[in-house]
Amino acid sequence: MLEDVPIHGSRIDASSKPPTHQRNLSLDFRHVTGGNGPPAGCGHQRNRSLDSVLQRIPEDMTPTSPEGAPLRLPGDAPAPRLALPPEIPAGSDDSGIHTPPDANDEERPTPAAARSRESLDSGNPEDTEKPPDPPDAPVETATAIVSAVDTANNKDFLLRLFESKLFDMSMAISYLFYSKEPGVQTYLANKLFSFAHEDVDFYLPQLATMYIELGEVAEVLRPYLVYRCKQSADFSLRLAWLLTAFGGDVKRSRATKLRDSILAEEIRPAARRGHHRSQSDASALRLATPSGRHLGDLASGRAFDNGCLCGEQCSCGAPRLAPQTQFLTALTNIGRRLASVADKERRNGRLRAELATLDLNLPARVWLPLHKKPHCVLRIPPHAAAVLNSKDKAPYIMYVEVLETEGHEPLPPRLLPPAPPAPHSPPIRHTKSEENLVPEWPALSMYSAMDDVDNSDCWSHDDEELSTQYQPRPPAPDSVSQLSVMSVTSVQSTSSCGSRESMAVGAGEVRRRLAEATAAPPPNAFKHDPADPSAVALKESWESKLARMRLSSPYGYLSGWRLLGCIVKVGDDLRQEMLAAQLLRRLQTVWDLERVPLTLRPYEIICLDKESGLIQPVLNSVSLHQIKKQSGKTLRAWLELEHGPATSEGFLLAQRNFVHSAAAYALTSYLLQLKDRHNGNILLDSAGHIIHIDFGFIFSISPKNLGFESSPFKLTHEFVEVMDGENSDMFAYFKILILRGLIAARKHCDQIIHLVDTMRMGGQLACLRSSSAVSNFRSRFHVGRTEPQLRSLVDRLVSDALHSLSTRLYDNYQYYTNGIL
Amino acid sequence: MATRKRSGSGSKRHLKEKVVQIYESFFRGEDLTSDNPTFWDEFFLLKPKIPQLEAEIQKLTPDQLTNMEDNINLLVIQCIEMLGQEHHIRLVYALQTFSALLTTMYQRVAQDPSINIKTILLGTENPNSKMQKLLEHCNSVMSGDVPDSLKSMVLKLLLIIATGIDNIDDNPLVEYLMMHSLFEPLIHLLCTSTERQQHGYDVVLLLMFLVNYKKHEAANPYVVKLSILDDELALNGYGQVITAALNDYVMTTFGGMQNNTGGWLSSLTSMVGGIFLTNDETQPVFRGQRSSGGEEGMLMALYEAAHLNRNFMTTLAHSSATASAPPSPPATLPPHQSPPNLAQIQALIDNEQPTNLLVTFFQYCSIVMADTRTEASINKCNLCFITLTCIVEEQFANSIMHDQNLTFKVQLYRLPMRHRKIVPEEPPSQPLASTLIDLLVEFMMCHLLKKFPGELYEVCVGVLQRVLSYQKRCRVRLSRDWRPLWAALIALLKFLATNETVLLRRHNIFSMAQQVVNIFNLFITFGDTFLPTPASYDQLYYELIRMTQVFDNLFFMALRYSTGDGEFKAEALRLANCLVNVRAITLHFSPKIDAWLASQNLSTPTEDQILEVVRKNYDSLILKLQEGLESYERYSEKSYRALLSKLVKGAAAFARQRSDAAALGHHSAALISHYTTLPVPTIC
Repeated sequence: MLEDVPIHGSRIDASSKPPTHQRNLSLDFRHVTGGNGPPAGCGHQRNRSLDSVLQRIPEDMTPTSPEGAPLRLPGDAPAPRLALPPEIPAGSDDSGIHTPPDANDEERPTPAAARSRESLDSGNPEDTEKPPDPPDAPVETATAIVSAVDTANNKDFLLRLFESKLFDMSMAISYLFYSKEPGVQTYLANKLFSFAHEDVDFYLPQLATMYIELGEVAEVLRPYLVYRCKQSADFSLRLAWLLTAFGGDVKRSRATKLRDSILAEEIRPAARRGHHRSQSDASALRLATPSGRHLGDLASGRAFDNGCLCGEQCSCGAPRLAPQTQFLTALTNIGRRLASVADKERRNGRLRAELATLDLNLPARVWLPLHKKPHCVLRIPPHAAAVLNSKDKAPYIMYVEVLETEGHEPLPPRLLPPAPPAPHSPPIRHTKSEENLVPEWPALSMYSAMDDVDNSDCWSHDDEELSTQYQPRPPAPDSVSQLSVMSVTSVQSTSSCGSRESMAVGAGEVRRRLAEATAAPPPNAFKHDPADPSAVALKESWESKLARMRLSSPYGYLSGWRLLGCIVKVGDDLRQEMLAAQLLRRLQTVWDLERVPLTLRPYEIICLDKESGLIQPVLNSVSLHQIKKQSGKTLRAWLELEHGPATSEGFLLAQRNFVHSAAAYALTSYLLQLKDRHNGNILLDSAGHIIHIDFGFIFSISPKNLGFESSPFKLTHEFVEVMDGENSDMFAYFKILILRGLIAARKHCDQIIHLVDTMRMGGQLACLRSSSAVSNFRSRFHVGRTEPQLRSLVDRLVSDALHSLSTRLYDNYQYYTNGIL
Repeated sequence: MATRKRSGSGSKRHLKEKVVQIYESFFRGEDLTSDNPTFWDEFFLLKPKIPQLEAEIQKLTPDQLTNMEDNINLLVIQCIEMLGQEHHIRLVYALQTFSALLTTMYQRVAQDPSINIKTILLGTENPNSKMQKLLEHCNSVMSGDVPDSLKSMVLKLLLIIATGIDNIDDNPLVEYLMMHSLFEPLIHLLCTSTERQQHGYDVVLLLMFLVNYKKHEAANPYVVKLSILDDELALNGYGQVITAALNDYVMTTFGGMQNNTGGWLSSLTSMVGGIFLTNDETQPVFRGQRSSGGEEGMLMALYEAAHLNRNFMTTLAHSSATASAPPSPPATLPPHQSPPNLAQIQALIDNEQPTNLLVTFFQYCSIVMADTRTEASINKCNLCFITLTCIVEEQFANSIMHDQNLTFKVQLYRLPMRHRKIVPEEPPSQPLASTLIDLLVEFMMCHLLKKFPGELYEVCVGVLQRVLSYQKRCRVRLSRDWRPLWAALIALLKFLATNETVLLRRHNIFSMAQQVVNIFNLFITFGDTFLPTPASYDQLYYELIRMTQVFDNLFFMALRYSTGDGEFKAEALRLANCLVNVRAITLHFSPKIDAWLASQNLSTPTEDQILEVVRKNYDSLILKLQEGLESYERYSEKSYRALLSKLVKGAAAFARQRSDAAALGHHSAALISHYTTLPVPTIC
């Protein structure tokens, strides 16, 4: 995908006729699916027929798919076609200023496709008669047909584009969307089989939207989606969630049907056919006895146990998706219930209680869809979770211990958390007669004793900070008291306590040690604040949290043990967030490709439905609001605190990171018209990057549509202060970065815009409801401007942003209404 | 049956019901079965008349009882036989009859200990197999898919057996419960939320009694199994049942206060989320009943779990939120029945803020500790303290209580007293260890009475010492104001020193004073490991200097006793030795302060000024490090055996009183209506 390159006019002039055999398959499907409309009734039969057809496709594709361009392989013609691509990079290698013509490229194929429809129509009848043929032939047949038509040359170009190795998922999506020609659509839908799954998955929201909104595309997409659903439970659920999230209110639409049949587990790996294991016969018998009685009952301790006992490949007919849906329902229900609790601290208590109840049902074969690698959830330590700052919603963050598994290994049994390691000395008994007391002492060397202290304090954050302080100088503060205890016991004094002369200590010494131990908590440590329970949880560095949790977990010893963070949000529409995350990812890809050192930090988002979802937390970061509230310092002062004085290497590095990320987010804010930029929505990570979160207001909408934030992006004087002021080199660098970023983004703006364009269908996203949303978005890439014009544009934007009254106004508004600093 | 004659009965009794007639002839020793082979099948179809049955048995003299042995034996065998019946009505009536028989027999034993209940009920031939059969039937009912009322009846039957005799060790039938352990089915009942709501209280109570059976003499399977139980669901269930019972008691007490003083209202609603208010109005009677007792059993159960099971500590801080649990099953009982209506308590808790066992227990303790007037309340208080001792000796529990991220607002009960007014205030949100210290401070301040509960103070200071010991060892710094604690300890010392002559008659005040002074020593010499700030160390010195007089008096008292030839000589000497650091501090700083005052020409310095002087003069002061300040003897049950058995007896008496025939009758009626779906009048 990275080698994606703008399509050049010369190659797109005409659309080509795609090869035929795949289309035949899809026509077959259409016939079959049309026949058994309601999936519930005769899904079984259809599934089988789909199976028989589909099984062939993956098998046929497999030898070729690794290359991502399967059709290249069989043909004898490809050689000359492959020779073509080098021209393309040649055209696109320039600085991107000449890219404007590209903007129109996308539109061009449409008429061409329309024109060529007749030819395809004429071709259709004969195609349908053919049986699904082996894939070795497609190129020949395609070329044969193509050459039979007079526009052969033009079509050949499109086909060659489709077959070229530069053709990627991004282009496939845009052609799938813009092309109205069934042949092209069918070809592309079949082509999906050959793309890497991750590439396709990136565009899953777009595919789902097209499935919902575009009838003919849905027809051609269905086989692919069904095929993937059978392969993976995770994919099935993702698709089902997207269909729920973007599906309209229509009762029995195609999309809801597909979703329902996924959730009703009608689409599942066929256990009957030969391609599966040989247990298929037994499976029919066992189908009657899945012991999923407890599913969903959190009090049962087995709420997420579908009762499946088969190993590697389940064939017992136990529900495949139900445990996972129950798990996520349980999580969102918690969020829903929390919202009804008023006080923040109480909310936190409630959250922990609810999670504790949920945790009793773990480990279970459920997973966090945010994490790509296959895994199952072992434990959700309730005390690590925290409610996040929000006025009337109750999003919460939790940390989930998972086990990464390759196969279907048995889950570890539920274990109780281990007792924290014992502190360095067992309580001495007055009964001195016990002999075993003496040998115990020498075993505890002073150093190991100190280590033990560190370990045992895994429970409280503050102490940890203290203990890390101790580590570098082991025999330091407590040594005297340690020694005293040891020496005294070695003396074997008799019962009279204190009658003997033992070691003495100066009162001044005691107090000094106390002062050293307490006065030095790092000033950047966060204190526990009942009104903001998440602050401490988020401040703790991921590494220390990981180590701490691993130590206190009964499963920490497992090699596949991982700790994942997860934010559960209920009551907020995350679909825009998802789109924004996609755009951020795209932008980051573009900048990486063009070697512009801008850093965005997109995070994973899963929409479960229209108003709830999971978000991957940004690790090692706290919001600017929390920094200000906890430290009362300016941003620069805080960075100096964390990374050292202004001239130190640590600070300079952090400053660089800050500028890279600030420029990236400034540009992104401008392009996406990101609003609601109060300091609670801007994070600072431990390396100095700023990270924007909450993309609830993008493109044409703003909070309550107040239009407060009229500036292009948020740039406060505080930010500029971090960059050494307005006249500094850093600030100039900041502007240059924005310019370079804009130029790079502009060069690839099509693949960014079509992401948005596709999602506009159906009007599900408020941010795209305005008719001009997409065209305004496009215009913000300023395709028509020259580089000097852009430079002055950037200068103007930056000064607008910096001197914007509305930014300050909005911060004040947020302060007075929500108490956000 | 129809051919039975009313032989010998007077004409007045001609209206007697048939079953009553059978009772009469049966307890006259007549053989009813010989001419009617299906007698028992028919008998158990007749609705038992419990009062009449009891009256018949009560009428018999001990000798008659012994003579009746064969007949009673037969009845028992038949009752047990019927428990395995498929026919539900017979099963229910057999249970009811058997329960009544047992209850009455135990009553007889209570009146006349010479009655051998075992032989009368079970005969001499193979009693074991009969009991085994009974317990097998109980087991299958408890783990089977049967109506809740049936399970309740079985549990009640078992409770009748377990609580039959005040001293459970003397109860011959409990021996069979040891031989044929019912631990697993009982624990299983705790695992599922619906069954826990119905039966949790009875199950936990029963387990508590069984654990206490000859626990010091023989291997008790329940002790063993409870101590190694690691099923988290079951442990949580156990904890939740206790939480519910204690919480109910807490609510009742706070509720009473709410009625008295309106000022409590605001602070209370913050605690219970206001739900309680409405509940109070709907169920006044229910609350009154509950406050009369019944939670002692639960308290004992808590103690046993805390004492025996290390895993139980994990559930101490497990907040229960069962809102996601399915609602309780359609009530098979009329709502006004079943005194400890756990379903309702559970519902109450569900609607509220989730609480956890520790929080509830602390609240409960604060109420119990406010009252030390009667022996019973002192015992209860003592049990609270030794439970606390068990808890603070556990590493895991300590780490939970000291977790800075796990804070709670706990409203403790404070006694209104002459010298202070209770100002309703929002409790601070703090780690539980801090709450525990508040609780101990409260206790120490409130019971410096003429009737000084010395043994309670001893355990109390022991708990404090264990907590501080943990903090010192683990370098945990509770960010709290320590001054109230020091003030309380000093007040205690002052009380000891001024009332020495009175107190010495009953308590060894020297060892207690030494314990307290050693806690000060811990602060003085190891304060650097657990005090939150240097300023708090200064405050400690300030308090010590301010209260010099108290320590001087104590020291001179100790000297006085150590020079004489009294029995406390050694202890007094030790106390004097312990005071060396406090003495050093007061002797070191007092002249310095006086000198400074003289130089400044001041007579009444402010606290800050004194602190300033203290800070300047630390360095010239040498303290003595003493050994074993933080060491303690691990809690051992030995010294509390008498107390525990007293408490078990009390709980048994209460349980007996509660599981009377009436309660059984309700269940049975409910069951019959369940099985027949015909409305059955609820007369017993």
